[in-house]
Amino acid sequence: MYKTKKLWTPLSTVVRRALPTTCHLTPYSPNSQIRSSSSRLETSSRVSLSLHYGHDFLGNLKFSAKSFCSQSAAKVDATTKRCWNCDAVAAGMAPFLYCDSCRSIQPVDFSVDYFQIFGLEKKYEIEVDGLEGKYKDWQKKLHPDLVHSKSEKEREYAAEQSARVIDAYRTLSKPLARAIYILRLEGVLVDEEQTVSDPELLTEIMEIREAVEEAMDSQALNQIQSQMKEKLEGSSSSFANAYRSRNFDEAVTCIQKMTYYQRANEEILKKL
Amino acid sequence: MAEPAYTVASDGETTGEEKSSSSFPEIAIGVDIGTSQCSVAVWNGSQVELLKNTRNQKLMRSYVTFKDEIPSGGVSNQLSHEHELFSGAAIFNMKRLVGRVDTDPVVHASKNLPFLVQTLDIGVRPFIAALVNNVWRSTTPEEVLAIFLVELRVMAEVQLKRPIRNVVLSIPVSFSRFQLTRIQRACAMAGLHVLRLMPEPTAVALLYAQQQQQMIHDNMGSGSEKIALIFNMGAGYCDLAVTATAGGVAQIKALAGSATGGEDLLQNMMRHLLPDSENLFLGHGINEIKLMGLLRVATQDAIHKLSSQDNVQIDVDLGNGSRICKVVNREEFEEVNRNIFEKCESLIIQCLHDAKVEVDDLTDVIVVGGCSYIPKIRDLVKHVCKIEVYKGMNPLEAAVCGAALEGAVASGISDPFGSLDLLTIQATPLGIGIRANGNRFVPIIPRNTTMPARKELIFTTVNDNQTEVLIVVYEGETEKAEENHLLGYFKIMGIPPVPKGVPEINVCMDIDASNVLRVLAGVILPGSQQPAVPVMEVRMPTVDDGHGWCAEALHRSYGSTLDLVTVQKKI
Ligand SMILES: [Zn+2]
Repeated sequence: MYKTKKLWTPLSTVVRRALPTTCHLTPYSPNSQIRSSSSRLETSSRVSLSLHYGHDFLGNLKFSAKSFCSQSAAKVDATTKRCWNCDAVAAGMAPFLYCDSCRSIQPVDFSVDYFQIFGLEKKYEIEVDGLEGKYKDWQKKLHPDLVHSKSEKEREYAAEQSARVIDAYRTLSKPLARAIYILRLEGVLVDEEQTVSDPELLTEIMEIREAVEEAMDSQALNQIQSQMKEKLEGSSSSFANAYRSRNFDEAVTCIQKMTYYQRANEEILKKL
Repeated sequence: MAEPAYTVASDGETTGEEKSSSSFPEIAIGVDIGTSQCSVAVWNGSQVELLKNTRNQKLMRSYVTFKDEIPSGGVSNQLSHEHELFSGAAIFNMKRLVGRVDTDPVVHASKNLPFLVQTLDIGVRPFIAALVNNVWRSTTPEEVLAIFLVELRVMAEVQLKRPIRNVVLSIPVSFSRFQLTRIQRACAMAGLHVLRLMPEPTAVALLYAQQQQQMIHDNMGSGSEKIALIFNMGAGYCDLAVTATAGGVAQIKALAGSATGGEDLLQNMMRHLLPDSENLFLGHGINEIKLMGLLRVATQDAIHKLSSQDNVQIDVDLGNGSRICKVVNREEFEEVNRNIFEKCESLIIQCLHDAKVEVDDLTDVIVVGGCSYIPKIRDLVKHVCKIEVYKGMNPLEAAVCGAALEGAVASGISDPFGSLDLLTIQATPLGIGIRANGNRFVPIIPRNTTMPARKELIFTTVNDNQTEVLIVVYEGETEKAEENHLLGYFKIMGIPPVPKGVPEINVCMDIDASNVLRVLAGVILPGSQQPAVPVMEVRMPTVDDGHGWCAEALHRSYGSTLDLVTVQKKI
């Protein structure tokens, strides 16, 4: 799996040139495992996480995970944040993506995590229904369509902030993506391609695969699909428990299961 | 030779933003160039206003006549009679033809229009000509569009008493990126800069978002999220969107579209009334053009009447001794066009499915466009969606009003009452991918992905010691590669000779905030830290006219020698 990661570095370098960025990133090792972690989830939306706008959001998050997040829910020190444009001090506890005094968009601050963007406590079980409203509130302030007449610098901020909010929304609204993300904030990197060693899971995967292949009609497929949904929900709540009790090994196993169930689901959808 | 009536300003083929030079923002106007009618609207400081021409019309016919030395369009020109439109000198329906090659079924369906549309069926642009003093004078869809865009611009400049440069145009959902470049080209020829190209139903979605905000201000609506299906069918296209609206933000959940419209209803009806009409018209003589024109006017008139009455008497003297005298009722019209109505229904079902929205989730269903007056259309939408049609919009003005709102928002105008506190979050109308796995189209950015977007996929070689791969980029939905729209192609060369399946070819696609598409491709060999060859970065589309011809030639010349396949995912 680590084969692909090496390409990603040069590709993102090229893109960084093509899509100018203004963010000042913490240096990180390009060979860090982070890149490999999402590389085989290509067809899900996860891929954008690591490459969006030439930034390795997660690469930075790895560092923030160590330096900020692990220190009790990462209360961003708002008092030190000032608007680049009007020098106003960021107000309140809300993440400072946008200046309310002069309505200018701020550069991306990678120490702000996706949960903070949505004003959520960092936990796995969240109210997904509430995300869309907050997502739209942010887009109304940050979307690149709204800053045509502003400076090039601020238009770049808009592109980056808006893309990051889209990523945050996608990540948090999908259980599997959210699970991987929240573990990463803890500094735990999930390699979904890791060979399955648990014989029980292996047998199960084989059985599912056979069942999908042998399914004769849509009724049979629908039945497997609802089974998969149930299993997904089951491993999702096991993940929640494992995460809460900080049993990260168990959490990683749950993620592996969720990944397989989801793939099986995708296969079924293709056949339906 | 007379000077052309339009100016060639620049060949700006981008939707990229202007560098803002003046501190006073110029409000972009909204333009709807419909297949049959066009209109212009602008934010006047407190609301959207449709501009009128000197004949007090808000909706003007989309045509250009080449009768005199200087061509004139439907904005300024006054027809002495409807039949003048069918003398062979008038060119219309160009929105259906722009950016299409002569193998396209839509082009073939245009061959019995009362001017010349000639095809060679090899994938080059069709030959289009107007009959002027017994001479077929050639033109192009871009030229025709540019001529009435100039007229629209001049009309707006006179009324707004300022130069107009920036426009937001509404476009069909099914337009390929290549077709978008042709629209931008027409705008550039008319001295206009495209600030945004908005799929028509997304313009309607923005208007809907504003109306919902207004209702909250007036304490009549609730602030909760509203999900609406927008069904927009005009003369040329049927376009749909599902939008989720809250707080003035319209998030486009799904788009669907097809080049199916009133023109198809009309042609089916003409064939029904005069079964041999297509053969009669093959020669394109002056008399045949006149005959087709007469039949067209009579049929169009009948279809309009059938929207309000159960049957209609058609009585048309075709001038060659034959005469059509017939009573047509509404059931007959609906039966003749059954395939069109079925297509509409399947588009609604597809769009709801893609948006993952159940019929019960819908707050509103909005039916707009010229065809929204047809009872069968309203019935079938109601039948699928199981709710009454939304009443708050003028069906013929909704798209242009939405475009004007976007024009104001994108120009950075704000309104003290919050009426411009709006945003549309767009989604990709078509999938974008490459040819791989034999002759398959493999999407990399699937349709209905929120924009801006970036996705990538890994491919590999199919032959041992394959040193080159051909990346052919398509846009569309069809599994067979060549049935999609070709956007461009390039080769990656110099891959070290290794067994098939070894090199990892990473193809990445990026759509930025200005809707510019970039394709990146790189090769990596196992055990290597560096890409084997320099990464390619190509801005698409790169194809020009005659691209159908290109794809065919590529296939013939290279066969499968430069092919690639997707790297299989484990289940
Ligand atoms: Zn400020």
